[in-house]
Amino acid sequence: MKFFEYGNEKIGGKEILIAIPSMLIGVGVLSLPRNISSNMIGSDGWIVLLLTGVISMLMVWLMARLAASFPNQHFLSYASIIVSKPIAIVLTFLFAISFITFAAYDIRVLGHISQQYLFDHTPVEIVTVSFLLVVVYAVAGSRAALFRLNIIFFPIITIILLLVLLINIKWMDWTNMLPVFQTDFNGYIKGMHTSLLSYMGFSIVLFYIAIVERPERAPKLVMIGMTIPIVFYVMVYFACILVFGYTATSNLLFPTIDLAKRIEIPGGIFERVESFFFVVWTMGVFNTTAMAFDVAVLALHSIFKRIKKMQLILILSPLIYYLALLPRDTSQIVMFGEFIGSYLVSFTFLTTMLLIIVAKIRRVKHNDKTTI
Amino acid sequence: MIRRYMKKKHQEEKQEKCGQNISVKLESKLDDNIQQLKKLLDEPNDLVIRQFTIGAANINSAIIYIDGLIDRQLVQDSILGNLQVKSVSMELPKESTAIFNEIYQTFISITSIEKGNSLADVLNGILSGKTVFFLDNEDSVLVMDTKGGESRSIEPSTAETVVRGPKAAFVESLGTNLSLLRRSLQTPDLRFKSYQIGKRSKKGLVVAYVDGVINSTIVKEVNRRLESIDIDNAPESGFIEQWIEDSFLSPFPQMNNTERPDRAVSALLQGKVVILLDGTPFVLIAPVVLGDILKSPEDYYERWLIGSLLRMLRYLGAFIALLLPGLYIALVTIHPGLLPSDLALSIAASREGVPFPPVVEAFLMVITMELLQEAGIRLPTPVGQTIGIVGGLVIGDAAVSAGIVSPIMVIIIGLTAIAAFANPSFTIGITFRILRFGFMIAASVLGLYGIILVYIMINIHVVNLKSFGIPYSTPFAPTMVSDWKDLVIRAPMTMLTKRPKFLATEDSKSANKGVKDS
Repeated sequence: MKFFEYGNEKIGGKEILIAIPSMLIGVGVLSLPRNISSNMIGSDGWIVLLLTGVISMLMVWLMARLAASFPNQHFLSYASIIVSKPIAIVLTFLFAISFITFAAYDIRVLGHISQQYLFDHTPVEIVTVSFLLVVVYAVAGSRAALFRLNIIFFPIITIILLLVLLINIKWMDWTNMLPVFQTDFNGYIKGMHTSLLSYMGFSIVLFYIAIVERPERAPKLVMIGMTIPIVFYVMVYFACILVFGYTATSNLLFPTIDLAKRIEIPGGIFERVESFFFVVWTMGVFNTTAMAFDVAVLALHSIFKRIKKMQLILILSPLIYYLALLPRDTSQIVMFGEFIGSYLVSFTFLTTMLLIIVAKIRRVKHNDKTTI
Repeated sequence: MIRRYMKKKHQEEKQEKCGQNISVKLESKLDDNIQQLKKLLDEPNDLVIRQFTIGAANINSAIIYIDGLIDRQLVQDSILGNLQVKSVSMELPKESTAIFNEIYQTFISITSIEKGNSLADVLNGILSGKTVFFLDNEDSVLVMDTKGGESRSIEPSTAETVVRGPKAAFVESLGTNLSLLRRSLQTPDLRFKSYQIGKRSKKGLVVAYVDGVINSTIVKEVNRRLESIDIDNAPESGFIEQWIEDSFLSPFPQMNNTERPDRAVSALLQGKVVILLDGTPFVLIAPVVLGDILKSPEDYYERWLIGSLLRMLRYLGAFIALLLPGLYIALVTIHPGLLPSDLALSIAASREGVPFPPVVEAFLMVITMELLQEAGIRLPTPVGQTIGIVGGLVIGDAAVSAGIVSPIMVIIIGLTAIAAFANPSFTIGITFRILRFGFMIAASVLGLYGIILVYIMINIHVVNLKSFGIPYSTPFAPTMVSDWKDLVIRAPMTMLTKRPKFLATEDSKSANKGVKDS
């Protein structure tokens, strides 16, 4: 009898399933409705959200299948089998960089929002550094514990989001749905681009499948996990469009938080519920950031085996902090986000395709347990 | 680990040194043995050496014990009486070893008796309340269990009181405690594994578990850790707890302690280990997870609806005890805009004339509260309660009328203290008290954002913590939905048919459906 299989460093099916929505649902969803509706007319955004969602599902399935066909092997080791070691090292390194910048972006946006909704005077440097320290504490712990955190926090942010959406039904104006199918082709392409950015981050499966207990089930589980953000995004998008109308939505900086602004708690114990919404949402952002950081550490650790995990964390955190404080104002943050998103999208897409195609052409034997 | 290893090595060297004089074999001459024993113990006046002769041949012999540790009646009736009276009328063999065996076989009517042949056997025996029989020209002795002396009788529990449920609590005597367990758990599968803890003062320690229910890996792990214990003396099970816990940095208790046999028995049947130490009524329960520390045995004695509601109330109380002062500080100092204007105005009005900012006010009151609690515990019971209540009232009331603190602050602190007491274990109450300060400091610097960061940090700590290899956050976060029936709610008895899944018990079915296993 296997004892406490959940107590070791392996993760189970539920953990990897929840990891996908935990990774994806972070700061992106807060500004998503604005990004979509600034390119698309009326309520057409749901089409691209669904379409890109399906594309992402396909991608994540391919990735999981690729990773699962090399059970218990890290990304670097199976990439080395497929495309020689030097190229694999370059790819791993690029992944690490992308996740480092991703974490930096998350931290910065969190600091930015906190200034908008919570503090006026506290400098963004303090807000970001305190958050970063908490993330460092989490990453310094065990990897399995990180997944347990996902499981604890994800239901909380789900409940608060659903509550916000439910209460907003009162203010929904169904005429805001109109006009439909008015967007031109160019608008669809732009919308596809922005909506793809919000699905970024699922490339963690390339790294995390290695520690999944029964990797052969993983492709199915991550697909199920992927449906959760799609449903959330579409719901949030519709809620914003119905409540604010698409022109107003495109002018709000963080329309999802503004949804929470409408809520009045009966009895009037608290006012300005959006601040509370944001505070709870910090948990979701935390999950995203911690996992991005952890994947970066995991990737770099597989290249530089000599450096200890803790040393890597200590080297990376000032770097992340520096990157996070790089953008000066809102427009630069948005640009930063666009840049990271585009880089991640294209890089993830190309790498996965490259690996799958080369693996097919070279007929790399599956389950080739050479190195770990 | 390194610390333990170093200490162990050091101790081994030391033990070699002090072991030289007591591990020697006994002499065959009675007088030599007695002289040596007297020399070793430095002739204390509670050491009783009763020398007498046996049989018609007048063979010298003696019994030795320490007065006060033994049952005098028992020694008189079953040892001395038999030896002196019976032996006269009986024909004894010539050879001393044969006499010794004869005595062992027929004369002594003590239930527990062992043969010993070293000075260490004699010393450990008499120091733990046994009586030792010496025979001249014989290098073995008889060590007879005559434990007795003054001890406390079984009384109702004082540390964990319940309205409904068995009242008996454990006492200081290990034997009585074991019998209490046996009495309430009558199964042949109940196992007691004994240890001797302490290098200088040997204390009995028993690991109890139900074979066939518990996962054997837990028993192995507990045994492994117990064997690493290396202390002079263990006066309380807290010493054991601190030696074998997983993380000594954690504010969370990784073992439960209880003085109620019913709680120990229910833990045994869940598949946990109970560790009993001689000399303390508090037994340890391991492993333990976050959900366990807010459970009370009374939850199961009341009907499920009441049990569930009380348990939910306790969770609410835990959150209030942790968060309320922090929330108050955050809302009043950093985000006054988040409060509705009426409430903000009434708080501002009540704070009028208070010279300190809310942070200082809150710390002042929380620290006063902690002091009152501590003083209330330390003082003798009749004084303690009065001082606690009167001190609280006087200080609270006087502080408000003197304008040092606002009345609303007194309400907040009072509510927090009550919520902290509404949990079944004193230990976890201390944990909440420590963590509350973390929330208060974070709230005074970063407001609500600080509170959520501390909350995330506590969660990080909890998911990384393990108790005997079991993640502390189970069954919340390695998710085991089947265990949720007995977590925040307490499902009806008829539905609680499974033992906790996270303990990976060998027999998963619980006793409730009449399964004959426990």
